[in-house]
Amino acid sequence: MKKRRQNKFLIEPASSATGDIAFNLIVFFLVCASVQPDRGMKQTLPSSEQSQSKALSENLEVEISGKETVLLNRDPVFIHDLRQVLAQRFESKPRPEDRVVVVKQTPDATYDQYIAVSNAVALTGGTVTLQTEVTKTVTVH
Amino acid sequence: MKLSRKMPRADVPNAAMGDIAFNLLIFFVILAKANDDSNLQWTPADGSNLQTATAVASVVVDKKGRLYLNGSEVGQEQLKASLERTMANAETEQQRTVHLKVHNKTRRDKYEPIIGAISEAGGVMIHVLNEEN
Repeated sequence: MKKRRQNKFLIEPASSATGDIAFNLIVFFLVCASVQPDRGMKQTLPSSEQSQSKALSENLEVEISGKETVLLNRDPVFIHDLRQVLAQRFESKPRPEDRVVVVKQTPDATYDQYIAVSNAVALTGGTVTLQTEVTKTVTVH
Repeated sequence: MKLSRKMPRADVPNAAMGDIAFNLLIFFVILAKANDDSNLQWTPADGSNLQTATAVASVVVDKKGRLYLNGSEVGQEQLKASLERTMANAETEQQRTVHLKVHNKTRRDKYEPIIGAISEAGGVMIHVLNEEN
């Protein structure tokens, strides 16, 4: 009786560890995906003393009112056009201190509009300074 | 003649226990962060030309208008003092970086004082935004 020789040159790897390998790979990719730091827009506002020392009337003023348009020195401009308009205005102002933009906001203004304006100012090389309302109590006798 | 049948035993594979324990340990160590604000619900505003930066503090205004500092709810009046304490020994700009995460439809009366408090505390603000295409 001829014995059939089993020519098994291919050695199969142990498949019992496959589940562990897959699990470890999932963990590694989840870890790599979750440790990405947040991305954002850096903004440093000038202190109030620095703002007051400069004549505010010389700077551009943007008023955000919760609508699609903002008022640039009292002229309405669409928010998505603001960057182009600021770029044109800043062509004649090479110094960074001349590119300060005073941002005023009505109570209806929302954060995404503020960010859109800040982004437009930052991309055109300007600096944002916030004009806030100050309430003062005056006692009258 | 009665043949006694051997009942098959379904044992838990002890050899894999070490791997299971190690993986669970990695999972929980990675997921447990000191200042975790991933449970807070807020929608970022859109922006472009964003940069990556790590921060020493995270200020969040969620969709309900509640203010959180490093995952814990705080009042607006406490924010400046808390940030000053956090950045008391800060020497470099990186040690004064604060992530500001504000829900996109938050109104001015909520976020403007927060921006002012961060600036007065000497923080370098990074508005965390969604990169627009």
